[in-house]
Amino acid sequence: MARSFRMYGKKRGHRRTGSSALGSLGEAAVFAFFLALGTVFLVLLLKMPVLPEWRANHEFVETTGAVLGKRVMPSLDGTSYRAEVLVRYTVGDRQYDRWTYDVTFNSPWAYSSNHDLRQDEVDRFQEARPCPVWYDPEDPATAVVVRGYSAWLWSLLLLPVSFIVIGGAGLVYAVLGWGKSPEHLAAVTQLGRRLELFEESTPLARDYPNVPRDANLTNSPGTRLKYRLPITTTQGWKLVAAALVALGWNAIAVFFLVKSLSTSGDSALRAFDWRLLLFTLPFLLIGLAMIYFLVRQFLIATGLGPTHLEISDHPLLPGRFYDLFVSQAGRLMMNFLEIDLVCEEQATYRQGTDTRTEQRRVYATRVFDRRKFDIPQGMPFEQQCRIEIPPGAMHSFQADHNEVQWKFVVRGEVTGWPKYERVFPIIVFPKPQAR
Amino acid sequence: MARTADPTTHRLPLTSLLHEPLISITLDKGQQVYQPGQTVRGEYQIDAVEPADIRAVELSVLWYTEGKGEEDFAVHYFERLTAGDMLATGLHELRRFQTELPNSPLSYEGVVVKIRWCVRVRVFLNNGKDGVAERAFQLGEVPYAQAVLP
Repeated sequence: MARSFRMYGKKRGHRRTGSSALGSLGEAAVFAFFLALGTVFLVLLLKMPVLPEWRANHEFVETTGAVLGKRVMPSLDGTSYRAEVLVRYTVGDRQYDRWTYDVTFNSPWAYSSNHDLRQDEVDRFQEARPCPVWYDPEDPATAVVVRGYSAWLWSLLLLPVSFIVIGGAGLVYAVLGWGKSPEHLAAVTQLGRRLELFEESTPLARDYPNVPRDANLTNSPGTRLKYRLPITTTQGWKLVAAALVALGWNAIAVFFLVKSLSTSGDSALRAFDWRLLLFTLPFLLIGLAMIYFLVRQFLIATGLGPTHLEISDHPLLPGRFYDLFVSQAGRLMMNFLEIDLVCEEQATYRQGTDTRTEQRRVYATRVFDRRKFDIPQGMPFEQQCRIEIPPGAMHSFQADHNEVQWKFVVRGEVTGWPKYERVFPIIVFPKPQAR
Repeated sequence: MARTADPTTHRLPLTSLLHEPLISITLDKGQQVYQPGQTVRGEYQIDAVEPADIRAVELSVLWYTEGKGEEDFAVHYFERLTAGDMLATGLHELRRFQTELPNSPLSYEGVVVKIRWCVRVRVFLNNGKDGVAERAFQLGEVPYAQAVLP
């Protein structure tokens, strides 16, 4: 079946139907526009005032002149001002009298709406006193009495340069991909990736495309079994984020509280204080709730003692059995401790301008379950069990927007504490084939 | 339970349209399910178009994702024939291809993530149009996945 050339197509996220040629043309046009815009802006900036400023600092010749006059001159519309100094200086046998200031003197950059600033600038010069003058050797009639670099001006260069880099790189990419099919582009890109893999990684990673690498799972030896599994580290970041939000929120709430309590005196002001206090009260309550949540999370993260999982082998293969060792430390009265072997799919997609992630659990089985037991101080709870990766299991899979993830999920509940959950990712490889 | 993905699924029906290239792809022995490391062999043929109208032909063996997420895809095997190559061997000849399949990713019929393998032939015409045909096959025999409650 042949697919015809379409001018317009439906689009969801990066999925697009329709004319790829027209799409490439549009893409190239956008990047060319960025490149042109950046180039024009850069040329204008270089022409005035970047290059003249550089010349004034490096090529202008210094001499001594005399200040004959000074003033702050308004622009034609009277809304901005520039500093002007009348100097007399001599080059060779010729004498020049010029109104000048710095190298931007004859450009719009010389003007500012701040009159006082310009007044301060001219006040630094004293009439009938000698002062240094720098003149252009190519045109001695051009001279300045102030030199230096404008930091804001040079930082402004970043803007056109970034436009040029983005536009140029995008244009090169669009031109290289011109007339090429998605498969052709993917083949070229993947050739590079394969070469990187060939150079860097273990045979296991090379031989199993799109199966996540297992280096992080095998670099920590266990005390009972071969490998100690790493724990997902999102808990710490959650705690930091919650602390920052609680801090910010409570700072604002306390600010309003102090403001409402600090005024005193006449009855009218006091009445207003009560209104502010009532307004602040809900914010204070929310702030207190945040502190409660933060303390609770902190206690869960630090007060329960670490959970360790160790496994007898890696990589994990469908249909194989493995030993799993669990260790829970802390002086705890456990209501329960359970471990699930879980497989989840994760898909990332764009909806409008948002990037969304959806997770679906497609496999879950309890591999360990213990209820009502105590853990004494200094004697961690330790238990070993046997688990099976199901024979028909899909292997771990990782691409840019889609994933299949395997993990152990440890859940527990301690008397007087909220339930807690700790996650230990694992990687399941495809079942090896008899060749 | 233990159903497997329908190996005869095609993304596009293999039918011809008037004045557009007819592309047919067949796999040897009608095989639809392959194991990692096996060689996929087959042939393709282009018809209903003049040799002078063709700019290039590309054959890819690739996987792509379907489902809720943005599409990911990767090309495992790729070959491109220019108009000159096509003329040298005759346009309407059956052209054979073969490639050893990788260990992963296996075909997968998940809930929000699906992985599909196919042989794809794309014909580029001189008038700017292109024609695409696909023949799906299955790599591995992973059973259908079903959502479970957390």
